[in-house]
Amino acid sequence: MSPGPVAALGALLLQFPFDPVYLRSIVRVSLYVSCVAVALSTAVSVPFALLVAFTDFPGKRLLTSVVNTGMGFPSVVVGLVVLFAVSNQGPLGPLDLVFTTEAMIVSQFVLAAPPITAISLAAVSAVDDGVRDAARALGGTRLDVALVTVTEARYGIATAVLAGFGRAISEVGSVLIVGGNIVGSDGVSRTRTLTTAIQLEARQGRYETALLLGAVLVCLVLLVNAAVVRFGGGRVRR
Amino acid sequence: MILRTRGVSLAYGSESVLRDVSVGVDRGEVLAVIGPSGVGKTTLLGLLSLAVAPDRGTVELDGTDAWAAGESERLALRRRVGMVFQEASLFDASVARNVSYGLRVRRSWPERVRDGLRSLVGSPDAEAVDSAVREALDVVGLGDSLDRHAGSLSGGEARRVSFARALAYDPDVFLLDEPTSDLDPRNTAVVEDAVRRASQRGIGVVVASHDMHQAERVADRVAVMLDDGIAEVGPTERVFADPDDERTRKFVSGELVY
Amino acid sequence: MSKHRATRRRFVAALGAATAGGLAGCSAVTGASGGGDRPGVVGETLTLTTTTSTYDTGLLAELNAHFEERYGVTVEAVAQGTGAALETARNGDADVVMVHARSLEDEFTRQGYGVNRRDLMFNDFVVVGPASDPAGIDGMASATEAFAAIAEAGAPFVSRGDDSGTHTKELAVWDGAGVDPGGGWYQETGQGMGEVLNIADEQGAYALSDRGTFLSQRSEIDLTVRVQGPIEGGPDLLANPYGIIAVNPAVHGNVNYDLAMAYIGYVTSPDGQERIANYESDGEQLFFPRALSEDPNFRQYVPAGWSANGTR
Repeated sequence: MSPGPVAALGALLLQFPFDPVYLRSIVRVSLYVSCVAVALSTAVSVPFALLVAFTDFPGKRLLTSVVNTGMGFPSVVVGLVVLFAVSNQGPLGPLDLVFTTEAMIVSQFVLAAPPITAISLAAVSAVDDGVRDAARALGGTRLDVALVTVTEARYGIATAVLAGFGRAISEVGSVLIVGGNIVGSDGVSRTRTLTTAIQLEARQGRYETALLLGAVLVCLVLLVNAAVVRFGGGRVRR
Repeated sequence: MILRTRGVSLAYGSESVLRDVSVGVDRGEVLAVIGPSGVGKTTLLGLLSLAVAPDRGTVELDGTDAWAAGESERLALRRRVGMVFQEASLFDASVARNVSYGLRVRRSWPERVRDGLRSLVGSPDAEAVDSAVREALDVVGLGDSLDRHAGSLSGGEARRVSFARALAYDPDVFLLDEPTSDLDPRNTAVVEDAVRRASQRGIGVVVASHDMHQAERVADRVAVMLDDGIAEVGPTERVFADPDDERTRKFVSGELVY
Repeated sequence: MSKHRATRRRFVAALGAATAGGLAGCSAVTGASGGGDRPGVVGETLTLTTTTSTYDTGLLAELNAHFEERYGVTVEAVAQGTGAALETARNGDADVVMVHARSLEDEFTRQGYGVNRRDLMFNDFVVVGPASDPAGIDGMASATEAFAAIAEAGAPFVSRGDDSGTHTKELAVWDGAGVDPGGGWYQETGQGMGEVLNIADEQGAYALSDRGTFLSQRSEIDLTVRVQGPIEGGPDLLANPYGIIAVNPAVHGNVNYDLAMAYIGYVTSPDGQERIANYESDGEQLFFPRALSEDPNFRQYVPAGWSANGTR
C-alpha cells in the first residue's frame, strides 16, 4: 500500500522520471503554441472588441452572443473543425498543416479568441465616455481614441489575455487532435505539449507522473500570470 | 472673429436643440454663453469644438468652413480648439502624462513610438520636462503636481488639470463647459484667473455657464440662450444693465424661471 | 518457464512466422530507391498513425530511431487507436498505418485507401480479473466461455468502448460467446488501456487487455491473468496480430508513398523483425515478429474472403 499520494509525489520529485531535454522541449512547445496563439488572438480580438463596443450595426447583439457562446466551445469540437480544415481533404489541405505546431496554433487561436474578445469587450465598454470625448477634444484621431480606450482598459485586457492564455495552455482536446502529440525519436517534442504529455501518462495509468507534469504546468501558468501582472501593473499604481 | 457659427441648426430626431444660431468669439476675448440648464449650451460648444456637424449653417475657424473642408483639414482645424468638459475625465495616468496628451497626439508616429519605447525603458518623466506642460500647470497652480497620479487628485484639482490639459498645446480658441460647477470658491478663483490669463495670451475663450455672476466677472461679451436660440448678444455690462430683449430682461432679473 | 516457451514456439510456428528461418531465407531490404549509399528520401518526413499499444510500450521509438538514422529522414508517429489511425489515413493525413484489427484493416483496403498490406508482428490479449475471481474463470481454455461466465455471473467488466483494436477484439469475443453485453455490470469507458486497467483494478472488475500494456502495469495493480492468450498457450481467438499498410498514392497524391514503402520494407526486413523480437520491457518480450516466412502467406496481402475471380 502506498503511503498516500502526496508522499508518492514527493518521492517522484526526488527521482524526477523525465529526461530534462524532453521536459524542456514539451514546455517549449507548450509556451510557443500558446503564446503565439494568444498574441494573434489578442491582435484580432482587441480591435474587434473596440469595433463592437463603439459602433452600432445590425446584428450586434447576435454577434455578441456568438462570441459569448464561443467561450464555451468544447475544445475537442474546435480541434475536429480545425482538423477538417487543415486535413488533406479540407480547404487548407495544400498547406500540409496536419500534425504541426502551426495547426495547433490555429486551433488555440480559435479557442483563445472568444474569451479574449468577450472580456476585452466588457473592459473597453466600461471605459468612461468622457475620457474618450476628452481624447478626441484634445486633438486625438480615431486611432488615438482607440489607444486611449485600450490604455484605460488595460487591466481588463490583461485579464482577458491571461484568460485566453489559461485556456490555450491548459487545453488538451484540440492540440491532441490536430497536433498528434508527436515526439521525435531523439526525445525532443515536435507537437507534444504539457497537456498532451499528461494525457499520454494518464492513458497508460501512470497517474503520479501525470500529476508531476501537471505541477509543472501549474507552475508555468503561475509564472506567466505573475509576469503579466508585474509588467501590466508595475508602472501605474492607483 | 476667430471662431464663429453662422445660422446653425441642430435637431436630435424631431426635437430641435439649436435653431439658427449665429455667434462668434474674437481673439483675446472672453464670451460667456449663459442660459438655463438644458437650453443647448453644451450642444453649442460641441458645434464650436468641431466635434459635431450642424444640420444647417456653418462653423468657421479663422474663416474656414470646417464642414466643407476635408477630413484631414478638419482635424487640423479641430486641433486649434481646446475644449474642457464639465467632467474632468482625466486619463488613468500621471498629471504630466494627462497634460502632455494633446502635445503627444500632435507628434508624428515615429516620434511617438520612439518616445513610448523610451518611457518603457525608464525615465518616465522625460516628457514632463516639456516646458509647455509645466507652464500650463503653473497657470492652474499645479506646477508641483507633475508626478502625481490623476486618481489621487481632489475634484477641484482634477478640473484644473483638465483645464491645463487643453491649455498645454496652446489652442487659438478655448471652450469651457460649466468650468466651475461644484467647485469651492478657492478653486473657482483659480479657474477664473486662468480664463483671464488665457485671453490675455490672445486666446479666444467661450465659457458656457448658468452662473450669471461668473459671466459678469470674466466675460467681455455675453450671449444669452433661451429656448433653442440666442436671445441677445452684447457687451457684458450692457446686457446685464439694459437688455434689449424682453425675455433676457426677465432672465437676468431672475423673473424667468424654467 | 520452459513449458511456456514450448507452447509459444508452437504458436509461432502455427502462424507461419518462423523468424529464424526467415532470417536465413530473405535478404535484407535496405535503402529503397536510388542506388547510392543514401536513398532519395533524405530529409523527408514520414507520418505514421498507429495504436496506443505500439506507441506506449516504446517499441516504435526503438524501431524509428534506427530507420531515421539509416535513411536520414524523420518519422512522426501519432498514437491514436486503430479506428482513428485508419480514419486519419483515409483523409490522406498519414503515409502509413500500423494497427491491429484485421476486420478494420480489410475494410480500409477494400475501400481502396490502403495498398501493400503486410503482416508485421503479433502479441496477444489476456483476460484479466481480480484475485477473488467472482465469475470463476481462472484457467479457462476458452475466451468465449470465460466471457459467457462473466455475463452469467453479472461480474463487473470494464470495456475500452473506443473503437480501438482491443475493443474490436472484445466485441468479437462477446459475439462468439453469444452475449450482447450490457447492464449494470458492463461499463464502457472510452479510455486508454492503462486507464481501463486502473479502473478495473479499483472496481475489482474483469477486462480484456493487450499483454504488453498489462505487463508494463502489473506491478501497480492487483489484477492477474485469468485467461491466457495464445502466446502462453491460450486460445487463438485472443491473438493480436498487427498489420502495416501504405496509404494508396493513387487516392491521396500527397502521401509520401516511397518513404512509406521504405518503412514497411524496413520493419518487415530481417533487421526490423529482429529489433521487434529483441524489444523487451521489464525483461519480457512484448511483440513477436511475423513478417518473415519461408512459406507463401498470400492472405496477408488481401482482405479475408477475397478471391481472384473478381468477387470482392
